[in-house]
Amino acid sequence: MDWLRRNLFGSASSTLLSALMLVAGLWLAYSLIHWLVVDAYWMGTGPAACPDKGALCWPFIRERYYQFFYGFYPMEQRWRIDVGLAAAAALILSFVFGPRTYRRFFFPVASLTYMLGAATLFLGGWGGLEHVPTHRWGGAFLTLVTVVFVFALALPAGILLALGRTSTLPLVRAVCALWIEFWRGVPALVVLFIATIMFPLFVPEGVNFDRLLRALLAMSILMSSYLAEAVRGALASIPSGQHEAAKALGLGFWRRMYLVILPQALSAALPQIASNLLGLLKETTVLLIIGVPDLLGMVQAGASDPAWLSEGALMTGYLFTAFVFWVCCFGLSQYSRHLERRLTAHRHPEPS
Amino acid sequence: MSGEPRFIVWRRLAYQALALCILAFAVWIIASNTQANLQRLGVVSSPAFFTERAGFEINQKLIAFDANSSIARAAVVAALNTVMLGVVTIFAASLLGLIVGVARTSHNALLRGAGASYVEIFRNIPVLLQIFFWYFVVLRWLPPVSASLSMFDAVFLNNRGLFLPTLQMAEGALHWVVPVAERFSYRGGYVVTPEFLALLIGLSMYNASYIAEIVRSSLQTLPRGQMEAAHALALSRFRTLQLVLLPQALKVILPPLATVYQNVFKGTALGAAIAYPEITSVLMGTVNNIVGQPVIIMCVVLMVYLTFSMGIALLMHWYEARTRRWG
Repeated sequence: MDWLRRNLFGSASSTLLSALMLVAGLWLAYSLIHWLVVDAYWMGTGPAACPDKGALCWPFIRERYYQFFYGFYPMEQRWRIDVGLAAAAALILSFVFGPRTYRRFFFPVASLTYMLGAATLFLGGWGGLEHVPTHRWGGAFLTLVTVVFVFALALPAGILLALGRTSTLPLVRAVCALWIEFWRGVPALVVLFIATIMFPLFVPEGVNFDRLLRALLAMSILMSSYLAEAVRGALASIPSGQHEAAKALGLGFWRRMYLVILPQALSAALPQIASNLLGLLKETTVLLIIGVPDLLGMVQAGASDPAWLSEGALMTGYLFTAFVFWVCCFGLSQYSRHLERRLTAHRHPEPS
Repeated sequence: MSGEPRFIVWRRLAYQALALCILAFAVWIIASNTQANLQRLGVVSSPAFFTERAGFEINQKLIAFDANSSIARAAVVAALNTVMLGVVTIFAASLLGLIVGVARTSHNALLRGAGASYVEIFRNIPVLLQIFFWYFVVLRWLPPVSASLSMFDAVFLNNRGLFLPTLQMAEGALHWVVPVAERFSYRGGYVVTPEFLALLIGLSMYNASYIAEIVRSSLQTLPRGQMEAAHALALSRFRTLQLVLLPQALKVILPPLATVYQNVFKGTALGAAIAYPEITSVLMGTVNNIVGQPVIIMCVVLMVYLTFSMGIALLMHWYEARTRRWG
């Protein structure tokens, strides 16, 4: 009761505001439910299930669901994606729950093995597995591949760039700073356009450069620059005593960094790293502009199929995509907030 | 570095020389490959194409432009479109972000909740999806020209865009030019294209969620005493915000705000997805398809965006220095 009085009806104006917002909220909830459930089509199959082109059309999602997820990957080969994703989930779980020595020494090796293994599994073309070229990849699968590949490549590169930027060697420092600031200043879409148009010009004639690989490398360059900034901020927050103590133990530069400085800096940089990961997840949608169909691209393509062509189907597709992205991003941000709280509690225990 | 043993000085020099060699080698490889490939394709990189006749129209222009203008002029028109979208978006996003951010520190729990929902919804959905939603769903639902929504018979909204009256100088006096309905469109006044509207709404609402978070966290780091003191002076809640809290919060707000503003300018490139004529879609799309000069076009486009990014950084730096001198 006391809480209500203080937070909703503290003063005359507050009471009025609360009443207005309550009415607006109820109206919003009512119209949302109408729009999402009551007015929408649920039953039936095929485009004929949604005669009114303006209303939401859930059968569109139900029938296209597999395409949104697997892209144009051949139907009978989809188990390969399932296996690959299950392995990825296992890998992530092993990181979350694994002991510290595992995380620091075995996990990088395990991830590298996984990436190579998954790439050969998805591509196929060996031991009786059908070859599936990357232009048939698409949907949420492609979004996930992009996020994993780019992040796995960009994190080590970003750490190296951050070390370079804080190096005591003036030339290395200048080159890294210039490189990072350059890529941070240009839009992802422009870099992707450049990758599709220019990368083939950078390599000798005859070298074939896969379109998806070009896009992924371009995104990795960008992402490593963003991550370098995140790590650099954290490196600066490590007290100089840590450096000196490690030096006094006779550790060389790389061991000093790997064993003493980076573990502390990375956990301090965790919130920024997580928000960059979220940014990457959202940024993958830009791929559709250069013709690489991610989840949003598949939805867009599905809704422009002449049979389904309607605002209702398109809107349902967008709503579904938005929901998928929202759940992933919100979940990730909550998890990173949880980790952050645990780390700060660990570092500065509350006086009891 | 005088205190260091000589071999360490030499080692540092050797490392840097090695780094320089690797870098030079990489640049040389890329440059020579590019040159060989361009030669093979018969492309002679030269900026001369900028003076050629453009041969295409641009549907939104702040300066005179038609198909007979030069490509250089098309680039200027496109750059101005980028600037206009960026600047208007920055104003809209800042205003919206400020309102939502302040709402999140309100005494009223419902208002706080509404602000939090706004932030969590719009921050966690890709901005391109939001732009598509506004462009392909909402703006397509607007009525056709014949059934335009109108306000005071001067502002018209339909699926061709937003038609605004303009102020014009004629016969020594200022007067309004109101759009006049024609068969398929409106004549006179200023047209805000649906592409611009979709980008403006999408980018503003997305970036406002970040600005709101910046505003909220800066307000919450201010000591409570500030608010209590303002209350003791009998300042209203609005005056407290305006005179006491926000000026102090500004110092903390500015650096992250500059990053958001840079992101807004980078985000304008998404105009290429819905054919808004900004610098990326005009130069890397239209012009490159006509003249086939990727190297020069790439350099120009990158320079334009780097100029925007640096411009915002410098502007913010200057503003910060100025407020510090006052404070």
